[in-house]
Amino acid sequence: MFYHYKNVIDEGDLVLVFISRTTIKPIYVKKGEILNTRYGHYLHDKMIGLKFGTQMPGEKGYGFIHLLHPTPELWTLSLPHRTQIVYTPDSSYILQRLNAKCGSRIIEAGTGSGSFTHAFARTVGLKGKVFSFEFHEPRYLEAKKEFEEHNLKNTIITHRDVCNDGFNIDMEINGDIIFLDLPSPWEAIPHLNTVIANQAGICCFSPCIEQVDRTVKALEANGWVNIEMVEINVKRWEARKDMKRSVVDVINRIKSIQGKKLNNKISKEDSKNFKSSRKSLKVKEGDENFKWTEVTKLETELKSHTSYLTFANKICSLNIQ
Amino acid sequence: MTDNIEIGQYVLIRLPSEGVRIFKLQENGRIGLGKFGSFDVSSILGFPLGTAFEIINDHKVKPIHSISELNIDEETDTNIQKQELTKFFSSSAENNQNIIDIGSKIQALTNEDIEELKTSGATSNIGQVIIEKMIAGHEGFDKKTIFSQQKYLKRKQQKFLRRFIVEYLGSSQLLESFLEKDHSKTFDLSIETLGLMMSYGNVKPGGRYLVVDETGGILTYALLERMGYEGTIVFVHENEHANLAALKYCNRSNEIDNIVKPINWLQFAEPENEREKWEDKTEEEVRKLKHPESYHRRRERVLKTNEVIDLIEEANFDGFFAISTLYLPEIFELIIPKIGGSRPIVIYNQFKENLMEIQSLLNKDNRVLAPMLIETRARPYQTIPGRMHPVMTMKSGGGYVFYGTRVFPSESIQAVGKGVKRRRVNNETASPEGTPELKKEKEEKIESTPEVIMES
Repeated sequence: MFYHYKNVIDEGDLVLVFISRTTIKPIYVKKGEILNTRYGHYLHDKMIGLKFGTQMPGEKGYGFIHLLHPTPELWTLSLPHRTQIVYTPDSSYILQRLNAKCGSRIIEAGTGSGSFTHAFARTVGLKGKVFSFEFHEPRYLEAKKEFEEHNLKNTIITHRDVCNDGFNIDMEINGDIIFLDLPSPWEAIPHLNTVIANQAGICCFSPCIEQVDRTVKALEANGWVNIEMVEINVKRWEARKDMKRSVVDVINRIKSIQGKKLNNKISKEDSKNFKSSRKSLKVKEGDENFKWTEVTKLETELKSHTSYLTFANKICSLNIQ
Repeated sequence: MTDNIEIGQYVLIRLPSEGVRIFKLQENGRIGLGKFGSFDVSSILGFPLGTAFEIINDHKVKPIHSISELNIDEETDTNIQKQELTKFFSSSAENNQNIIDIGSKIQALTNEDIEELKTSGATSNIGQVIIEKMIAGHEGFDKKTIFSQQKYLKRKQQKFLRRFIVEYLGSSQLLESFLEKDHSKTFDLSIETLGLMMSYGNVKPGGRYLVVDETGGILTYALLERMGYEGTIVFVHENEHANLAALKYCNRSNEIDNIVKPINWLQFAEPENEREKWEDKTEEEVRKLKHPESYHRRRERVLKTNEVIDLIEEANFDGFFAISTLYLPEIFELIIPKIGGSRPIVIYNQFKENLMEIQSLLNKDNRVLAPMLIETRARPYQTIPGRMHPVMTMKSGGGYVFYGTRVFPSESIQAVGKGVKRRRVNNETASPEGTPELKKEKEEKIESTPEVIMES
């Protein structure tokens, strides 16, 4: 399902149930089962035959969910976290900069939660290959099971500590894109020489600048060139409306209050003239009785640092070190 | 990938000055790089794409390890190269205490001297010789710190070394060269934003996409690359002919016609009126025609148009991608029905406000789920061990991306939220589902969600 879209939900399909922006729940549709959420419960039987993208009402007549088709990006938001994961703004830049495309051969270490593995597998397609390595056994087993369930046919996961034992497996790897998300990538870099294609690009993903420092030295020592580190900064904006509060209204209001003090009354006509002038007035954003400016606002908490991305290239046939 | 440099191909040439240029490799061709010299195409053929070269005598080149390292022969190893470096830097200051700015007088070598050197011998070493002489003639060189000496050297290398890299012309490289020439043409689109569009759009080999691309084909180029030149792109445009100028660079031009299907906005909006009637003539009739070739041309054109109209009527596209200057809410109305369920809608704009308008529109429209407005920026660093810091200046811009998922809203839906109890009571008093009142409450529920942000 990660390689091609389906239109209609069948039994056995992986469906990503969109409950809210922060809750996306992966399920396998199975006759007889019920999905319980805090927004009502939903019968799997009724999902079968629905189109992907359908908004499904709850059994009791209230609440709803959306039945979404799996994509690597949605999977990233729904997956069970086993480690820190690589989010889409970082992963998308890595794919673009290293020119990942149909037919690319990827080396990934470690697998982690397997989120980026899905994006790699989707992007390189069935003509490409993804070789993923994970040294932590329980994580390896979980990821392996998940890749099988998701039918990631082009992905081969190996239980291995690549820093000590290298990348060689019983297959020709010939990787042209390497992604290292390891605590000490500099220990893995020397092992790459036997498994990379003649032309290869690498990205090392490390949160600390000290790690980048050691990684750059290791890359230089192993014949990698065009080394550059970048950082991805992301901002999410939301559309908001800000009330146009008129100073003329404010003046009229003061005038009216003072008049009220003098005459001890306030006419209904007057109050209409300054209804937007009180800051404390509770008005719903966008209320048609008021004037608004279209504005944007940043999300309240900004993800200001994920990791440093260190890129480099290597051409093996030119042994001009 | 084992792509080598071949004849007939378009490639990107990257210069030490960090400039980039696109060239087509013609048989017996010679490529001029201005002050960096020129070289014969034949001398770079067969090397892997990504190889760095240095121009030597007679328009020939030799492959080198990287464009930024010191000039060394193949037999020289890294140690000697390091010695070479330290030879320059044997005398350097701890800090800049003794530096006095006397302007150009500090350099004994005049511009005339340099020009003379340049013409004196077109050897591979000439750039190197100039740099060495400049350092020798630089009165204050030994007063510089080693850091600033290295920077000085790098600047001079960028100016005088006759080196370049021949790169594969991917969508990133193509965009980079467009940006350098005229960034307004691509509406400030950056490589990281293009990448984000590809990922949010879930682009994969063999996909079937609806595309509006006013950049001259950069977006389409990126899509085609990711699709592996398989699948379908219906390309909606506003002129008589689609502007897909960028696609000529992709080295796969003969495959493109089967994948990229142009259609204009009128045909797109009114497919039923724009479908052309056609009946094949018999072979006999064709033979009798005065101009049978014009009959065949017309036949091909009509069938092509009708084929795209079929695709539009079939709808169910795997995604919508747009880089357009058209008013987006209007585009939206036209394209939403054409997008398949649970498929992404990805729109780029250089102005946040234009995207904001569709986002606020969608707060009331349930056909697009979880609309987001995202800005992504790659910040490059000076990447030297011990001296890492963000570069001092970088390109601004990069634009914004709108991303949402096409869904099918259900008529009889009622959200859980405040007042469920009250509603239950209402329900018991025979208020049917989906009454206007309940619908309104649902809208309120949706309007209150944008503050919850994904990926937090």
